[in-house]
Amino acid sequence: MSVKYIPVQWNNNKYYYDAFMLAGVVGFLWFFLHVSPEVLSHERPINPQVHNARAFGACAFLMLSIILAIGPLARLDRRFMALLYNRRHFGVMTACVAMTHAGYILNWYWAFSSSNKYEALLFSNTSFGQFAGFPFEIFGIVALICLLVLAATSHDFWLRFLGAPLWKRVHYLIYIAYISVVAHVSLGILQDQQNHVFTAIFLVSAIVVAGLHVLAVLHERKAGDPAGAVNTEGWVTVCKPDDIVEARARIAVLPNGDRVAVFRLEGKLSAISNACSHQNGPLGEGKVIRCLVTCPWHGYQYRLTDGQSPAPFTEKIPTYRLAIQDGVIMVDPDANPPGTYVEPVEIPS
Amino acid sequence: MKTDTTPFFVGYFKVPKKLRKFLLSAGILLVACLTVFGLLIGSTQDDPGNGAFRFDYGRQTVTGVIENLPYPLLHVTEGNDRIKAGETLMLAAGGKMGVMARTSGFSGQQIVASGVLLERGDLNMLQLRGGRQGLRMAEGDGTEMIWEPPVSEPLGRWRIAGEICDGKCLAGAMRPGRGLAHKACANLCLIGDIPPVFVSSQPIEGTEYLMVVDKDGGPLPKAAYDYVAQFISLEGEIERHGDILVLKMDADTIEVLP
Repeated sequence: MSVKYIPVQWNNNKYYYDAFMLAGVVGFLWFFLHVSPEVLSHERPINPQVHNARAFGACAFLMLSIILAIGPLARLDRRFMALLYNRRHFGVMTACVAMTHAGYILNWYWAFSSSNKYEALLFSNTSFGQFAGFPFEIFGIVALICLLVLAATSHDFWLRFLGAPLWKRVHYLIYIAYISVVAHVSLGILQDQQNHVFTAIFLVSAIVVAGLHVLAVLHERKAGDPAGAVNTEGWVTVCKPDDIVEARARIAVLPNGDRVAVFRLEGKLSAISNACSHQNGPLGEGKVIRCLVTCPWHGYQYRLTDGQSPAPFTEKIPTYRLAIQDGVIMVDPDANPPGTYVEPVEIPS
Repeated sequence: MKTDTTPFFVGYFKVPKKLRKFLLSAGILLVACLTVFGLLIGSTQDDPGNGAFRFDYGRQTVTGVIENLPYPLLHVTEGNDRIKAGETLMLAAGGKMGVMARTSGFSGQQIVASGVLLERGDLNMLQLRGGRQGLRMAEGDGTEMIWEPPVSEPLGRWRIAGEICDGKCLAGAMRPGRGLAHKACANLCLIGDIPPVFVSSQPIEGTEYLMVVDKDGGPLPKAAYDYVAQFISLEGEIERHGDILVLKMDADTIEVLP
């Protein structure tokens, strides 16, 4: 949370996160570029430009796979939720690594000719009608553009400028990027290898990413937020008060598809929107800390009574009216405007 | 009342004790996996072949006769320690450019060629220096300039399997200089008039490298570009020019092989 835009709001956890990430990337590149040539028994070495391009390309693919695995892992095991924090740094670094790969490739395969290298990239292979020999570079270009858009818009300025819903939609480009990378690799280097170690690592990575997403969807269907029943007055059933753990919430899906989070704190209940105003994070999976609902993704905080962030912060989310009828929590599905005060409802003893 | 003991992470707070070991393990696993994958992938790269620029030989200057097919061949008449008289060299300019335009006026004439040699097995190519330093008429009293063109020896019509490459990257300008990942680069070289070379899967008359021209003796046909770097079979007339085999490919007979 911040009252002004600064490049990075550093804290110790971000330092640790970035240190592990950098150590992994440096470890990968160091072993690929400086240790493995000693293992290879080639009569003549691979050109450094190609060797570097392969190292950075493979690294970018694995980084992208890890980034995409974090989301579903966090759905399946809440302990991974901590890895969502600062994931944007991972993404920006992946874009930098992918850009380096593209730079080596462009300045090697498309250099040294009388044509402009960017034009040559587009006209040198136009065999679009075939599988083997398809200009797989086009998928690499698409992936790189997606990654650069994601990296460039990763800052909270763009989040505020575009609004969370549009920003999130834009950031679904990560899936286009990954699919494009899979096509880029499948139609490119995988068609051209005698040794299949990378093929195996590539396939396992892609299958793990896809499998985790499927598992997360199945998990959500099984244990996801229930759609509340609607009574004659149009209010929605959530649960019994005792079903809610102290300082935590239960989430219910409203008829219009929105989600409401009903929190319990010190014998009282309050209902707020489940979507954090920052990145639409699931507030209902958050916790009340020092009387403030805290988003599990990036720690944005809101008062339970009016959905407003404490001063000097200005974020607001909608609140909902609620009531307890026959021992069951009911919520009015019509959201109040963001920041509207609603008196918490006392739980009958 | 139910209580919740699940650790809850907030980025700007200290990591809950219950999560520390888990997150530390995840971080170490990340670093270990990336490092091991870096070593594994890096140490299983395919051999790019033994082609190379032979800068270690120094600049090569030889006298010979140009034969434009239309890609130029240099039949060496007066060699040196490295390149012997009687050898035949393919020619290219610096970068992804051939020398067809430069040699067109020298057809059948004795010239002095100078440049750096590219060598891959029995495939030799000379990358000429720029301008007159790379290619000029030989000076002499005229007697040694009389040249009998090498008799082109027809070897019949063949169906052969292999890959069309650009001769320069294949010869060692790039390692690797062939294969599908290199296709766009090969196409760009071929567009720049670098001599195309067919790498046969089986040796023909002792060599696996054949310079490729169209069946009518023209440059590589446009239809062939889609098949560059693919494993294909095709038919064509093969001729020997000096110590180089030339394949006059019939583009209509190309078949992509699995």
